[in-house]
Amino acid sequence: MILRCLLRPRRVVSAAPSSLSLALRTLFLLAGSTSMLQAQSLDDAIFMDKRILCAGLVYTREQWTDYWEGTLKRDNGNIGTVTTQQAAFMTAYGITGRLNVIASLPYVTTKASQGVLQGQSGSQDLSVGIKYNALSTPLTSAGTLHVIGIAAVSVPTTDYTADFYPMSIGSRSKRATGRALLSFQGHKGVYVNASGSYTRRGNVTLDRPAYYTDGQLFLSNEVRMPDVRDMMLTVGYQRRGLVVPVTLTQQRTLGGGDIRRQDMPFVSNRMNFTRLDARVQYTLPKLPGVVLHAGGSRILDGRNVGQSTGAMVGLLLAGKL
Amino acid sequence: MPLMTRTMPRFARRLTTAGLLVSATLLTSCDKSITDLEPLPPLAAASVDAGAGTWQMIVLTSANQVAVAAPAAVTSDAYKAELAAIKVAQASITSAQRAKIDYWAGGGVLRWNQVLRGLVAKYNLPPAPRADGSYVFPDANNPFGDPAFPFANPPYAARAYSYIAVAQYEALKAAWFYKYQYNRASPTKNDTGIRALVPVSDLPSYPSEDAVLAGVTVAMLQTLFPAALEEATKRGADQREAALLSGKASSSDIAAGLALGRSVATLVLARMTTDGTGNAIGNATLWAALADSARARGETPWLSLETPARPPMLPVFGAVRTWSMTPAELVGARPPAPYPTASQQMKADLAEVRRTTENLTKEQRAIAQKWNDGAGTYTPPGHWNDIAADHIRDARFSEVRAARAFALLNMAMHDASVACWEAKFKYFNPRPSQLDPAIRTDIGLPNFPAYPSGHSTFSAAASDVLGYLFPSESANFRAMADEAGMSRLYGGIHYRLDIEQGKAHGDRVAAYTLRFAQSDRAQ
Repeated sequence: MILRCLLRPRRVVSAAPSSLSLALRTLFLLAGSTSMLQAQSLDDAIFMDKRILCAGLVYTREQWTDYWEGTLKRDNGNIGTVTTQQAAFMTAYGITGRLNVIASLPYVTTKASQGVLQGQSGSQDLSVGIKYNALSTPLTSAGTLHVIGIAAVSVPTTDYTADFYPMSIGSRSKRATGRALLSFQGHKGVYVNASGSYTRRGNVTLDRPAYYTDGQLFLSNEVRMPDVRDMMLTVGYQRRGLVVPVTLTQQRTLGGGDIRRQDMPFVSNRMNFTRLDARVQYTLPKLPGVVLHAGGSRILDGRNVGQSTGAMVGLLLAGKL
Repeated sequence: MPLMTRTMPRFARRLTTAGLLVSATLLTSCDKSITDLEPLPPLAAASVDAGAGTWQMIVLTSANQVAVAAPAAVTSDAYKAELAAIKVAQASITSAQRAKIDYWAGGGVLRWNQVLRGLVAKYNLPPAPRADGSYVFPDANNPFGDPAFPFANPPYAARAYSYIAVAQYEALKAAWFYKYQYNRASPTKNDTGIRALVPVSDLPSYPSEDAVLAGVTVAMLQTLFPAALEEATKRGADQREAALLSGKASSSDIAAGLALGRSVATLVLARMTTDGTGNAIGNATLWAALADSARARGETPWLSLETPARPPMLPVFGAVRTWSMTPAELVGARPPAPYPTASQQMKADLAEVRRTTENLTKEQRAIAQKWNDGAGTYTPPGHWNDIAADHIRDARFSEVRAARAFALLNMAMHDASVACWEAKFKYFNPRPSQLDPAIRTDIGLPNFPAYPSGHSTFSAAASDVLGYLFPSESANFRAMADEAGMSRLYGGIHYRLDIEQGKAHGDRVAAYTLRFAQSDRAQ
């Protein structure tokens, strides 16, 4: 989930972090000549075969009413329910069967159901990552263990504002992520992935000369963005054209202040969450280059984020170049 | 693509290596540290302003209203013992002490102004609604509660900035009076064995200006920001310690300064605590009467657009005592009535707000955010203190002249605040989003009537005073005030008329401050 973390939109209190990652995970790929369905994302263990290109669109919708003001869970009549919608263009390519490149660019809109705050929209951050299968070895008679490394970078594509949380569509922070992933793939279709990532985030520049956060007034327009790490555990099942992964994600922001009592959230807040999501991806038996994807997610616990519930659908096309 | 096939393995290896290298570099290299404060070089004042003891007082009746006893002679054993103690202390300065010296060398007035801006930003948060939809007002007797005390909103902040600046200015003028009455040179001048760890001028050191500032400021903060007393007390102690260690002041210089500062604060607090702010919140009957009055005039009254509806911010603040205007002058300077809410002019202004917010450019959004200065910030008056601080630093003003600059600036903004609130609650005019719910704002919507614009009033008044203090920059300050005004239209929270009339109002108010400034004998 290197990319997952990397690409995670920082918008909204919620950090509504799951939408892009969810979307990324919907990157599918048909393994070319074998006409066997595979899924592909920057946080799973699946690789496209050499010279297979996959591209498509993924739509994600997330919304939250309750959020954590620091650690205090509350709602807020001045925003009601905040909805984030995202349409992401994604593409992936198999340079070799052990080395894939993945890129993604989402368009994001936000809206509050109550109050007067203006929703925001725009093209968000372009992410590009590589995924490398460093080692594959049989482990017991039940399956194979893969050791995978992932690296990715992400940069804002427009000068959307990062200073209007919870309506901002992102943090405008440049990011670089490294992820290590272990995947055990059983012969009977059950698989387990465990991974951890670390994301370095560049400072963000505001349009104002001073801001208060984390107990201090900063007489500067530059905001130090704390780094982020996450841990993911996926249990999945794949059989013929069907793949069903269920994932638990825990993100921790390594610094940053809490939202103060009755304050607005801020770009560098300590945004933490634990999220559960489940997906179904399906390759049409008669159209092996077409992959449909659907899923849902829910934030179970958090800090300085909204308690998002999300849903997504995607359509990706794959073929040999 | 087939072209790449033959070289793919090597290409793949290179790409992998490059990707990992780039990521590793990004992950480990970039320095993310930022400077959290405006840099302040050690203050070497352009002039010691030896005549400041004769400058016009504001609250005190005279510069020597508070008595300061004569110091011991520099030849006395007591004073020599003080000098010896400084030498001992200087011989073993720790890095923590050195940091305090460097911090306070930037200038006490400028440093305390930074501290004050931080406190305003910390306490500028409205109370959260209770479960039953009601709001509890901050309680000065329970400053650590929820809500915390104070809610340092713009009127509260403007008043706080002004009272602290005026108190510092009064105390420093008194200090200057005694400095030149007693003419006790600094420890570095009386004993060549004492090093000057900061720039030390010919300014006499009894009483110590640093201790005066520590004494007066901590005492003012104790009333204005009681929950910050511990932090303020520690800072005051640091400032006094830095003055001693740096060779600027001996212990008796500091003791006399501290006592003088505290005494001046007592006199200024007597004015502040009876200025009417305690009644500024009003009550439910009064809030209803404001709306009834607007309806009786045939107008649509202002309504809180918050959920749950919140009482208006300090509706009686317009009755608070000003610095430079009589109540009659305040009414005389009041802007004319806004367009009737049902008029065609109002409809046109409303349409302009909607058109602007629906077609907002990136530049306009940036301007709206630059001047947002909403909840959780140091407020519009704090923003103008921020701007002023850079110019005061660059001009290398002495402590007393820096205090004058902040006093004049903040007296004008406090008066602008009182005058603006008086007009806002006289007219009780609705915000654009109330008359047209389709208008969405790119900044938070203030919870008080629209007309006239507070930002515009504050900013015009501030730019007039800064233009007086720094004439070569006056066009710049006016351009900033114009931008600050327009930022409220871009943000979707004000009509154009609010801005134009607000600025004109701010100009009229600042004229009273400038009339004082022009005859205060500080030129």
